[in-house]
Amino acid sequence: MAETQNVYEIPIGPIHPALKEPIRFTFQVEGERIRGVDIRTGFAHRGIEFMGMKRNLIQTLYLSERICGICSISHPIAITLAVERAAGIEVPPRAQYLRVIYSELERIHSHLLWAGVAAHELGFDTLLHLTWKVREQVLDILEELSGNRIDYALPIYGGVRRDVAPEQIPKVEAMVRYYRGLLDELLDAFLRDPSVEARTRNVGVLTAEEADSLCAVGPTARASGLSKDVRQDRPYLVYGELGVKAITPRDYGLEPRGDVYDKAVVRLLEVAQSLDLIETCLYEMPEGEITSFPKIPALLAFLKKAEGEGLGWHEAPRGEVIHYIRLEAGVEEPIAWKVKAPTYSNLMSWVPMFRDQEVADIPIIAASIDPCICCMDRVHVVRDGSPGTVLKEDLLRLSRAKTERIVSGARLSVPGSRPTAHGLRTTDYGGGL
Amino acid sequence: MTADQVTRALTAAVPGLQPELRPRKVGVRSPVEVPELWVEVPREGLVPAVAALKAAGPVHISVISGRDTGEGIELLYHLAVGYGTAGGEVMATLRVTVPKSDPTVPSICGVLPGAETTEREKIEFLGVSFTGIPSTAHVFLPDGFPGHPWRKDDPETAKLVNRLVEWEGNDG
Repeated sequence: MAETQNVYEIPIGPIHPALKEPIRFTFQVEGERIRGVDIRTGFAHRGIEFMGMKRNLIQTLYLSERICGICSISHPIAITLAVERAAGIEVPPRAQYLRVIYSELERIHSHLLWAGVAAHELGFDTLLHLTWKVREQVLDILEELSGNRIDYALPIYGGVRRDVAPEQIPKVEAMVRYYRGLLDELLDAFLRDPSVEARTRNVGVLTAEEADSLCAVGPTARASGLSKDVRQDRPYLVYGELGVKAITPRDYGLEPRGDVYDKAVVRLLEVAQSLDLIETCLYEMPEGEITSFPKIPALLAFLKKAEGEGLGWHEAPRGEVIHYIRLEAGVEEPIAWKVKAPTYSNLMSWVPMFRDQEVADIPIIAASIDPCICCMDRVHVVRDGSPGTVLKEDLLRLSRAKTERIVSGARLSVPGSRPTAHGLRTTDYGGGL
Repeated sequence: MTADQVTRALTAAVPGLQPELRPRKVGVRSPVEVPELWVEVPREGLVPAVAALKAAGPVHISVISGRDTGEGIELLYHLAVGYGTAGGEVMATLRVTVPKSDPTVPSICGVLPGAETTEREKIEFLGVSFTGIPSTAHVFLPDGFPGHPWRKDDPETAKLVNRLVEWEGNDG
């Protein structure tokens, strides 16, 4: 970019109201136009791979789950596949279906989370509240199946830790029906709304050529028209048999332009695709064992003797996640562990997306790749009209009470703002919690 | 894309390569074999090999993983070739080992611009240098971070860990 006297630098981040994660953009702007951008990451780097290489594989599995609060199924799936490959562990058929069900539930909640964030970045907070309100249904199902809203601790080397009980199946089916009924309304609100269209059409464009050469992944690549989805390209678990096809804007009758609008198209259609996959899995899932190692000490002893290297990949909501692991006999910890999350691959795509765009569109373009944010949780409480805080212990108690209510079958009428037994009204804010 | 096509592309570009096929059985009702190729490549052969993969089909770099083997640094280029069709992508892993006395590898960014982030990460973590890389700025670690954390014999990392352990001990 030619340096002229009309070009100014605007640093945005690492902490900034428009960004939900610590990252620093330094924009070169000429008037309202962005001429270039320099991106600096690493503000949330915790050295997780380094830590994993100092811990045994079970501890590393739980660590992998804490890489991201939203992808807390995706990372464990990738690491279990890598370790199973390195150590030669078979996964029972039922567990493979269960992993797909959990992954697709995660995709639905992640895509709805993104849709809400995108609406918020456009200044359309009504739509944010609507999207996040309906997102509660899938979080309730995840809580029903795992006991947690995030960090589900479901995959383990050789299978999964929890089965779907027969009495839970109707609840999952009810959730599938609920979202199917809502889908048209969501498509209406996002794709047929003139103001949303005006803010997202031809904004933050990534061409197919750029997406290919920069190795973009997930909805970011598919919105540019690339038929690139790990579930389709490199089958794993039972995805090959389920016949997953990469979704591009063509499936909605549009020629892909790679703008923010197209990214919304892809993610919303993928919610429908995930619903179909969950339903098929519930129907086709065979009876049987859910893990080949029911006893953890036996698993640890087996893993300690294992030797080899393996790759595990998975299509996370944001795109390809891949883990490489190398095991050595007699050593408990992995000799090498490399994690690649989708945003790592999509980082470079921001550069062409920001070029020649307007400063006012920075938040929505930044959000359009669905950057994986560091989860924070905050709770604001109003008691008798005056603000106050709750202690961690109170939160834990409220959380357990809610899980018990869900498991006992009582549904929340208005998720997130239900008066509790203590007269408190709680509202969740912040990343994905 | 089939494993054979990828093997042919690699061996035509860099004579003498011996790709090892490690297929994995995938599926429950009608299992299929998903191909995976692992091949050792001399560093001079890296750029021609990646270029040959790119010519063979759309290529995606998943990541470069690596480790300190004691005498040298091992880099693993995980490249997926041929996305776009069901089961049509082959994961090819190119293993390049360089001595610690000269940890230099040619950059593949000229062929595959999307490799820049992962190459820059390896500069920080393993102390490898890539000739011809567009930028060597840090991606994850702070500027001026001492040492390379994935080097097993790095005294700076050992010092950092000891300081953290001491600090955690005082915290309780």
